[in-house]
This record gives sequence, structure tokens and C-alpha cells, in this order.
Amino acid sequence: MNPQNHLTPTELDAFAQELDAIRDRHRADLGDRDKAHIDRIIGIANTSELAGRLFLHFGIDPISFVLGTGALTLAKILENMEIGHNVMHGQYDWTGDPELDSHRYEWDSVSPAEGWRHSHNFEHHTYTNVLGMDRDVGYNLVRVSAEQRWNPAYLVQPISALGLALTFQWGVALHDLKLEELRNGESTPAEVLERAKPLLRKAVWQLAKDYAFYPALAGLNAPRVFLGNMFANIGRNVWAFAVIFCGHFPEGAEVFDRDSLENESRGQWYLRQILGSANIEGSTFMHVMTGHLSHQIEHHLFPAIPAWRYPAMAKEVREICERYELPYNTGTLGAQLKSVAGKILRHALPTKSAKKKAEVAPADATDLPIAAEPATRPALAA
Amino acid sequence: MTHLESTRTESNDWPWSTVARRFLIERQARHWLQRIDPMLSLGEVRARVVGVRNETPDVKTFLLEPNGHWRGHRAGQHTLVEVTIDGVRHRRPFTIASPPEEDVLALTVKRISGGTVTSYLHEQLSMGDVVGLAQAAGDFVFPATRPERPLFITAGAGITPALAMLGQLAQEGSLNGSTLVHHARDTKSIIARDRLARWAEAGLELHLHTDDQPGPRGFDPDRFISEVPDFAQRHTFLCGPPPMMDVARPLYALCDAEERLHEERFVSPPPPVADGQAVTVTLKRSGRTVTLDGQGSLLEQLERAGEKPKHGCRMGICQTCRCTKAAGVTRDRETGALSTEPEGIRLCVSDARSDLELDL
Repeated sequence: MNPQNHLTPTELDAFAQELDAIRDRHRADLGDRDKAHIDRIIGIANTSELAGRLFLHFGIDPISFVLGTGALTLAKILENMEIGHNVMHGQYDWTGDPELDSHRYEWDSVSPAEGWRHSHNFEHHTYTNVLGMDRDVGYNLVRVSAEQRWNPAYLVQPISALGLALTFQWGVALHDLKLEELRNGESTPAEVLERAKPLLRKAVWQLAKDYAFYPALAGLNAPRVFLGNMFANIGRNVWAFAVIFCGHFPEGAEVFDRDSLENESRGQWYLRQILGSANIEGSTFMHVMTGHLSHQIEHHLFPAIPAWRYPAMAKEVREICERYELPYNTGTLGAQLKSVAGKILRHALPTKSAKKKAEVAPADATDLPIAAEPATRPALAA
Repeated sequence: MTHLESTRTESNDWPWSTVARRFLIERQARHWLQRIDPMLSLGEVRARVVGVRNETPDVKTFLLEPNGHWRGHRAGQHTLVEVTIDGVRHRRPFTIASPPEEDVLALTVKRISGGTVTSYLHEQLSMGDVVGLAQAAGDFVFPATRPERPLFITAGAGITPALAMLGQLAQEGSLNGSTLVHHARDTKSIIARDRLARWAEAGLELHLHTDDQPGPRGFDPDRFISEVPDFAQRHTFLCGPPPMMDVARPLYALCDAEERLHEERFVSPPPPVADGQAVTVTLKRSGRTVTLDGQGSLLEQLERAGEKPKHGCRMGICQTCRCTKAAGVTRDRETGALSTEPEGIRLCVSDARSDLELDL
């Protein structure tokens, strides 16, 4: 049955209070351990980058090329995920360290931090999985849910998704430009160009760094450094794509329509985060490599709490979900990837939306996602 | 209050610094320098503790050796000390109690009961530790033409800038003609008593008053006038608790000698207000001052007052409305925690508990 409907307003309030209590307990506990964690990861990322560059610049054999590229990939992944993403969420603002200031941090990605913070921290995290509001649903390129209106362009999405994976940092950056507004006339080309200026500026620096400055520094080894940097960027792109797509699009993660935002209470907001997110199970190393987005559910409930605390918080969140009989979507990386891949393949075709099915067969309505019956949702004052 | 980031000196005039930042080399350099030696930095002033001296039961003097980025100070100026306590950086202003010619800076710190930073400095900071410093600032200094026969009126820890200025005079051998009128709780609370005695022998006219002796307590105008009858003709440096300064100031106003009175003002925290009460907010960037009605979050109140602060989710998660609160007390509506220090706050989940100064 539909969980969002089976909790009464009173239950939702109690549910919200329990989650608030987890957040407050961890926030009150912030201190040396959190600072030591992020400093340690920054140290590893810096060491790894330096080692990678030294291998690429001074090695001549294929083994040092593989090692160098691997170390650089590791550095870029840590910098983007556990450091950049989390710092820009404000998880370490309380430290007062200017290097960890969410409004000053600039990450190693073509996407300028300022624009990304808006589309990600605000749009995606506030309107998570709400169709038409959260533009991260399929990144406007991939149809991951039957509720997204089908068009023939989606037929090639198994290939375009692969392309997006290889170039994910560019996908994220272009995504923030809202190019689709050109098509429907909401923005003029001049406006889009204006919007693109920070991206163009940053892209020039990023390209110059990876494909001109460092290769030039390597002299005769320039082609090797060029390739190493390119593979490191691609490796990071593919990994980030996989983590992000496993976060909201595996089977069971729900999408919502705009009605669900109307008079949404704190409890309903929390509930939407849980129903719209999915976790990945794995080792501590894997969790760090995902920036702890392997705990997407906890991240969406508590986006500004230092992410390394999510595994501990997850135990409490899971217990609460069990008590309130709520689904808690989790699985291994392999399982979640398979699930996402299946969806990308299936929804390339014009799959029927559950809403339409509901109109045909109302008897099945209880098994349907929330989008099926927005009208029956309890309207609570915020 | 000095701006939060004053411990960083941005060298934007150097084009290579942009390149180093954009190519993420600066980040690496900062990391490795810090690893090699915490005193090494790309422009930030750091200082190593090379001595700790007990002045009185609740006052210690820390001797600090700054790194090469320190640009020096004038006697009477202060600096910000930056320390990390339980993962959080704190910055506090302290007067430099040593004269400019010395290589080592002396910071004389009175322990405030319940004070996070002064307690940490007294209990934890020890020889060899490294702290951050801001460049010296403040205009409580000798005027360009050095006044003849300067007069210092101080009380308690307010003696520290006078120690720097008198120290400079002592080094120059020109203590003759200067006067210090100092007030303390009792004899053992007098900071730098030995030095004062030495300077008195070298020509300083010294008037020490403690509350445990017979006679008036604290600064007494009648006693002061009898001790320094020509006070109105002399450049006077006044530093102490606000009540004492409030008594001394009118004497100079009465004699029409205000242009010779130099005051070191301690910024006292604005008085707290109850929940829902109106407050005055100074917006530093726009230079505007608005009155808020106290109803709802700071974001809502600012919007009602006609301001348009940047914001997003309005529920405390996206950090878009985060801005620096330079002064005042706010309350986090989620946790109920009070924020008294200068730090970043989320406007949409904060309310005001005193008049504020915001970086908007």
C-alpha cells in the first residue's frame, strides 16, 4: 500500500520529530573527529594527486602510466565526492575554516561551484524527485520513470546514457544552463549565453590545466600526461555517474508530482526524501569513494551533517523506517546498477505511466506510486 | 569587529596567484607547507609560542614569534588570535603588550570565566604551539607627532596597550614626563608590577590604586585631579572597563580637551532581547540599517523590511541564505542553540536575540 498515505498527520509529526532528534544529536556532537576526518581525506587526495602527477610526468613505462592515472583518478574522485560535494553542502561550515567554506569552495570540475550549489543544494535537495521541479530526474536526457512523458528521442537513451557517463562533468555543467528553456522559448539565446559565462570561464581554466599546462610541464612526456589526465577525468565521470544514478533511479525509488509540494509538512518532506532515494551497500572504502552518497537516503534527510556520519545515522533511520513500515531502498552496487540499467532500457520505449494504468484499473491503486493519487494525500500545514 | 577573514592576506595583485588557484596548485602548496612546518604559509600570519609568563592568578602573557608575513605593529595596536578548539576556528582580539622593536610579541590575556578561547589559551596553549594572527590594527597609538608628557589612565587588563607604549618610551629612554594612573582589584592583580616599578625608577610618574586599600574604589575624579592637575593639557590614553571610561571622559569634555583624549573602546556585546522583540540590523555591504519586527525567521523579517537576501529552500537545508553575522546574538530555530560569535548563520532558520550586524 502507499506509505505516504498510510501515515496519519500525527504519525508524520512524530516521525519528523524522531528524524530531527537524530540530526540534532549529531549536530551537537560535531567536533575534532569530523575535522580530523575531512583533513585526512584532503591529505589522501592531495598525496594521491601528487603521486599520480609524478608517475605520469616522470615515468616512461606503461605500469607507471596505469599507476599514475589510477592515483589521479582516485584524487579527482575524492576531491569531487567526499570533499567537494560535501563541503559545498555546508557540512563543514561550522569549522570556520576558510578552506572548508561552502560559499568559497571551488571544485575540480568544469561545473562552477556557484551555479551547482543552486541547482543541487536548492533545487534538487528541496524538490527531490518532483517531476518538473527537480531537474536531476534523468538529467533531462534519460527517461528513468514512466511518469516522464515519452518522446522518440528517448529511443537512443541507452547510448546517450553511456555518453553522459563518459562526460558526466560536462553533463552536470550544461544541465545547470537549462538549455531546454531555449527550445520552449523561456530563455533567449542571449540569456543563456550570459548564464554560460561562469561555465565558459571555468571550462577554459579546467581544460588549460589538464590538457595544456600539465602536458607542457612534462615536455616530451606531454602526450602521456595528456592521456593520463583524460583517462582520470573519464574515470571520475563514469564513477560519479554511476553513484548519482544509483542514488535516485533504481527500481522502487519514487517520483512525485507537483501536488505533493502543496502544504507539505516537515514529515512529508522527510518521507519524500526517503521514498525518492536509494542506498548502496558496501565497504567503508566504497562509501568514502561515493562521498557517502552510498547513503543517499541519509544524505537527503540530513544534507548538512558531515557525510562520514551517515553509516551511523543509517542504523537509526532504518530502525525508524521499519517501525513506521516504510520502504528503505538499499542494495549492492551491482544490484542497484543493474536495476538502473534495466530502467534505462525499459523506459527508452513508451512505457505506460502508472497514473494512466490507475485510471484503467483503479482496483490496483494501492500498489501504485504516490503520483497516482495526489488528491488523497493529507494536506498538512507546514 | 575586525572582519572574519582578516587572517588571510589575499595577494590578488600577483597574477600567478590566480593561476595557482585556478590550477589547484595553491591548495596543494598550502597543504604541503602546513605539513612540513605549521609556521609556513602563503601569506597568513602564524606565530609560535616561545614563552608563557604568569602575570597574576588569572592573567598570562604569551610570547609569540611571528612568521615572515607579519608586517609589524605600532605600540597600542591589537591583533586577532586564531586557534582551533574541538574542530572549530575561533578568533579573538588581543592587545599587543610589547613595544614594536621587539622580535617577540607579547599578548597578555585575562582569563574570562566560561570563555572558550581564554580558557583554552590558559589551559592548553603551550610552548611550541602555533597560532594564527591577523595583521595588527587599531588607532589607539601615539599621534604622528609624539606628544610630550603623555598620560595613561588604565584599569585591570586595560593596561596592556599602555605597557606597549610605555615600553617603547622606556626603550627610547624617554619615560621622563609620562604618567600612568592604573587601577586594579588588589595588589596581586596588578599586571607587570615589576616592570612598572622599574619604569618608575627610570622616570615614569606612577599612581597605582587598588580596591583593597583605604580610599575610593576604582577611578575617582577628585583623586585623579589632585594627582594630575594638568591632565587637560596632556595627550591622554584611556583604556579600561566602560564604566570607568564613562567617568573619565566627561572630565575632558568639561575642560574642552576632547581632542587630546584617546580611547581604546572595547566593543561591548549588544544587550540581548527576548523572543519576538524588534531589533535593529546593520547591513554592512549595503550600508543600510533596518528595523525588524521579531516575527518569524530573520529571512522573513528582512524581506518584510524591504530587503532581498539571497535564499533558496527556506527550510534550512540548502545554505543559499547563509551569511556572515559580524556581531550580535542569534538563535538557531532548529536546535535552539544561541550563536554569540561572529560566524555564518542561515537566515531562514535563525532569529535575532540582539541587535545585529550582517554581511549583506
